Amino acid sequence: MVNLTIDGKKIKVDEGTTILQAAEKNDIKIPSLCFHPLLEPYAACRVCVVEVIKKGESEIVTSCNTKVTEGIEVKTDSERAMKARELNVEMLLAQAPDAEAVQELAKDLGIKETRFEVKDPDEKCILCGLCVRACEEVVGADAISFNERGAERTVSTPFGQESEACIGCTACSFFCPTGAITVEDLLGREVIHDELHLGPSSAVRVPIRQAVPMVPFIDEEACIHFKTGECKLCEQVCEKEAVDHDMEDEEVKVEVGSVVLASGFKPFDAKRIQAYGYGRFNNVITALEFEKLVNASGPTGGKIRLANGKEPESVGIVHCVGSRDENYNEYCSRVCCMYSLKFAHLLNEKTNAQVYDFYIDMRCFGKGYEEFYHRLLEEGTKFIRGRVSEITDVAVTEKEEGKLVIRVEDTLIGAMRRIPVDMVVLSIGLEPGIDQNEIARVFNISCSQDTFFLERHPKLGPVSTFSDGIFLAGACQSPKDIPDTVAQAGAAASEALSLADKGTFELEPVTAEIDKDLCSGCQICVSLCPFTAITYNEEEGISEINDALCKGCGTCVSACPSGASQQRHYRDNQIFAEIEGIFIE
Amino acid sequence: MEKANEKAYRLHLMVCAGTACVSNNSFGIKDALEKEINKQGLEDEVLVVTTGCNGFCERGPLLVVQPGNVFYQQLEEKDIPHLVEEHFLKGRPVKKLMYKPPKEKSPIPILSDINFFKKQVLIALRNRGLIDPEKIDEYIARDGYSALAKALTEMEPKQIINEVKDSGLRGRGGGGFPTGLKWEFVSKSSTNGQERYIVCNGDEGDPGAFMDRSILEADPHAVIEGMIIGAKAIGASKGFVYVRNEYPLAVSRLIKALEQARGYGLLGKDILGSGFDFDIKIVRGAGAFVCGEETALMASIEGRLGEPRPRPPYPAEKGLWDNPTCINNVETWANVPVIINRSADWYSNIGTKTSKGTKVFSLVGKINNTGLVEVPMGITLREIIEDIGGGIPDGKKFKAVQTGGPSGGCIPAKNIDLPIDYESLTEVGSMMGSGGMVVMDEDTCMVDVAKYFISFTQNESCGKCTPCREGTKAMYEILDRITKGEGKEEDIDLLEDLAKSIKDSALCGLGNTAPNPVLTTLKYFKDEYEIHIKEKKCPAHVCRELNTYTIDEKTCLDVGHGCDLCRKNCSANAISGETKTAHQVIQEKCIKCGVCYDVCRFDAVKVK
Amino acid sequence: MSNESFEPRLVGFLCNWCSYTGADLAGTSRMSYAPNLRIIRVMCSGRVDPQFVLKAFKEGADGVLISGCHPGDCHYQEGNYKALRRHRLLSKMLEQMGIEKERFRLEWVSAAEGEKFQRVCNEFTDEMKKLGPLNLNGGKKNEQ
Repeated sequence: MVNLTIDGKKIKVDEGTTILQAAEKNDIKIPSLCFHPLLEPYAACRVCVVEVIKKGESEIVTSCNTKVTEGIEVKTDSERAMKARELNVEMLLAQAPDAEAVQELAKDLGIKETRFEVKDPDEKCILCGLCVRACEEVVGADAISFNERGAERTVSTPFGQESEACIGCTACSFFCPTGAITVEDLLGREVIHDELHLGPSSAVRVPIRQAVPMVPFIDEEACIHFKTGECKLCEQVCEKEAVDHDMEDEEVKVEVGSVVLASGFKPFDAKRIQAYGYGRFNNVITALEFEKLVNASGPTGGKIRLANGKEPESVGIVHCVGSRDENYNEYCSRVCCMYSLKFAHLLNEKTNAQVYDFYIDMRCFGKGYEEFYHRLLEEGTKFIRGRVSEITDVAVTEKEEGKLVIRVEDTLIGAMRRIPVDMVVLSIGLEPGIDQNEIARVFNISCSQDTFFLERHPKLGPVSTFSDGIFLAGACQSPKDIPDTVAQAGAAASEALSLADKGTFELEPVTAEIDKDLCSGCQICVSLCPFTAITYNEEEGISEINDALCKGCGTCVSACPSGASQQRHYRDNQIFAEIEGIFIE
Repeated sequence: MEKANEKAYRLHLMVCAGTACVSNNSFGIKDALEKEINKQGLEDEVLVVTTGCNGFCERGPLLVVQPGNVFYQQLEEKDIPHLVEEHFLKGRPVKKLMYKPPKEKSPIPILSDINFFKKQVLIALRNRGLIDPEKIDEYIARDGYSALAKALTEMEPKQIINEVKDSGLRGRGGGGFPTGLKWEFVSKSSTNGQERYIVCNGDEGDPGAFMDRSILEADPHAVIEGMIIGAKAIGASKGFVYVRNEYPLAVSRLIKALEQARGYGLLGKDILGSGFDFDIKIVRGAGAFVCGEETALMASIEGRLGEPRPRPPYPAEKGLWDNPTCINNVETWANVPVIINRSADWYSNIGTKTSKGTKVFSLVGKINNTGLVEVPMGITLREIIEDIGGGIPDGKKFKAVQTGGPSGGCIPAKNIDLPIDYESLTEVGSMMGSGGMVVMDEDTCMVDVAKYFISFTQNESCGKCTPCREGTKAMYEILDRITKGEGKEEDIDLLEDLAKSIKDSALCGLGNTAPNPVLTTLKYFKDEYEIHIKEKKCPAHVCRELNTYTIDEKTCLDVGHGCDLCRKNCSANAISGETKTAHQVIQEKCIKCGVCYDVCRFDAVKVK
Repeated sequence: MSNESFEPRLVGFLCNWCSYTGADLAGTSRMSYAPNLRIIRVMCSGRVDPQFVLKAFKEGADGVLISGCHPGDCHYQEGNYKALRRHRLLSKMLEQMGIEKERFRLEWVSAAEGEKFQRVCNEFTDEMKKLGPLNLNGGKKNEQ
């Protein structure tokens, strides 16, 4: 521990503490510009200067990098220190007049204007070096540094040219205290609607605002550490030491009695419908992207914005994208009509935009759904019945300039229409997950023709499958909305639980049995059984079937040369009788 | 390797081949001498040797005849045949080629009788004018490398350090830090099993300074020997000489010297069979004055951006690649072998109580004898200016002397009896610096001097810290305005405030000392500032925009007969008149270039 | 006996999980298919003993169908592969006996393929109509 006095206050701090840190711990604020707690002190701005009196001698030092020593007296606002600080800030005000951080500091110090020559009134860079140090220390890319000397000093890439070393992490912009470094979208967009990058996001983020659990993940594609091996600032600042960049996938073996499959759905890829222009036009977005846009804790704070940052004046919502379509999926995705109406309602609420809904049928099947639809009719939403054929940006009239034109056959009036809008929301349907067939194979269940998992019975067995102990819940079985999913999930869970809860186990009634007397011990059946239910009893020289393991497929029965193996209820003589029965006149 | 000359010659002609004399054709003189000597058939009796800088740069090209110490100066090729025939063949020294002090009747033939050389005590420059720097044998012949042998075979590292400590040697680069103490710190710093390094700072950036250049060009082995001794003392096995890129001759002489030293087993592995390994690498600067600052210098050696970093930690603790590093100036290293050979006692008997030994100064400016001098500490300014320097030329009055280059300050004439040492110079507001000494007379404008130095430091500022980067710019702008007649009342106070704050808050030595010229000129010559600001006039007539040029019509007509030379040369058509009539300056058109004043042979043009 | 009025008698061994359910689906979807196919349900197509097929022909079937799950989808893992092997061998043997290989058919019908079942059924029936009755010597026959 080190004892010192600061501004008349006697304090005690750990050895190795800097004067700036010691002051902060004791609620004394020393201003600084080039200091950042996550970077090594640079001591270039000379704003954090203080007067230190040691053994009767006084000197001016920068507090950000000077460590405390025993018995010193620190004065953060002595005349000498203040003079230096004020002049330095006044000079910075002349060098970078447009830097807000300097303007504020000047205001705090009572400096109204600068007596020194201003070369560039728009200059923001105060040459604090935070960007250079971040690029070197944190990112490890070393893409930018200082060029030229003295008053000509600037921050740049080597020779001001595009640098291969730059990995585009925007850390420099992040650390810049005055906004002198900005990040530009190459396409000039203010808001980026693309599914993955709705607005700027860091490599450590929560995937979506409504994620459960609400825990951040590290996006390996964007993470600086995975590119350069450096950074790891997140690990540094996490007090709970919860960050581990070296985390690997773990394969865990869990023995269970039953499984509930709730593997969800895949949203329809709107790019497949070329005519709708998703991916080509900035302002054609999918329903999920619209959800992110409209979320209050999303990147735009809930504001609905076009790619150029402006509010749309008209929005078209296109139903049945990828659903009810013999070219893509014939089934109806069930949820789209209702969420489209929700979007229309939100648009009416949050913007002054004119909303157009392009539908084929309005499927408002649930509780309060139809009433909601009527409300929308009253809100002034325009409903046009017809499948949208094309979305184009080629204008034919002046009104269409700069807009997206929706071409649709209005089947109620029987005419082709062109509706110009600012933004188009595609109500994409639900599709089975990409590995649906693989999962089905693993769990020994079937998929229906549309590749959703097949339930045991469409009416009477909605949550169970043909394999005992495997249950289904949610959209993996068929498209459904939240209330239905919750209900199905509850049902699946309770069936799974009851299986475990019963205490008794139901055996297959149609298992096979081996007649000891007829069995010759040829063991043909042993290798055939897919469930390894048959074992050869050496002592007795016969094969035996384990009733609990036997599933009753009957393969061993048809292979047995002596007819020793027979399937209960499907014995050979029974089937022979059936065959005979067919031909009785 | 060339073997040393074993032949004995009757005469050695030591031709000065320092950069200044070289640029004045001293190699041409050498060739002419050799040609003439061959013609006269004297080639087996007379040897021409090129040495490093002799010191009396004012009078180059120079030649010293040994034995006898006869001094010839301002030689031209056409003088050589006569000189060879008269002196070297017939034995009659040529008087008209000797040095004649101004206002004296007869020349002084012997070098040691000449005032310029009389009061000098040569330690760092001990081999001046006596050896060919490209022949190691000549250095060895004059006790070269004997100190190294002593240090390696008879002394322990601690002993070497104590000897240097006791000698009182202080850093000659400007800092004046006790050298022995620095060595002790470095030797005691922990290295975590890595290296310790030795560095020689040869970045000499002060404008017009050439002390280090002369030593490196004339006597590179003195530096090398010093460095090896230092390495042994602190336990380093690698050394660097950082030379500014603008010294190609110094670099080539160093390269040669290092090669020759290695060839003799004085550098490299197992030096002199003592088991001690040490070698030196040359690193060239890249045109930045700031890289003379030790932390910026180390950054430059490491290949990083040449900007200083805050100290502590000092290089002795954390230097090159975070290892303990001992950085000393060229002149400091050159002193070390002498201290080891002749003992700390002998060395500490020279100089003052706090500043021991000698210091090399480059004496330049308004002085009769410009050149390189080495004098004992404690000598007064008066002795340097009047005795060694020969006084102010053209009968002008001595006004001030600037020491320490752009980091130093101006000492006014009233302090002419100030003895020179580290403390006394700092007390009056200046500093020893690396040894630059610029003499100024009544025709020097002190505001202009301050502006000149500030423009230098502004240009050389690395730009890292606000006070130096912006502050020197601000001071320059104010000084510039003042010299242009646009000074404001508040400017003097603002200048002083700025200067003090910059001194307080700058990050490195460059910034810390840049305001010194401003502060000393303000302290001693405030009246000049006030005249510039209030009366918009420059008393020394240096600040051209403030001059008013008039023509004294009587003188022009009676003496000059209206020669019309001024009007012909006036680029602004601001002079009226014709041949044989009195001319006049048209003030509204006059751009104050001063050409008329310069060309008038009759003193008819007056300046106010 | 003219072919127009000939109604083939077909026996189908359908596995419980896929094909039988598929047939069920065809029924509940009100798909119409030829009534000629009489269905015998087994748990797995692997249960089908070649003796069953022979018995069916012996009793007077004009065609026999075995239908199971698609390869890889068998409820009992590999039963349908066994059925496949048996079908191949048995076909060859039946040909030796003078039974055309078109009369013994193996199909994969999944639980969702009601349509396929309908198609298979109709196709099989039409083919057998064209082929005509089997008229195995020495078996019970339906006298025309």
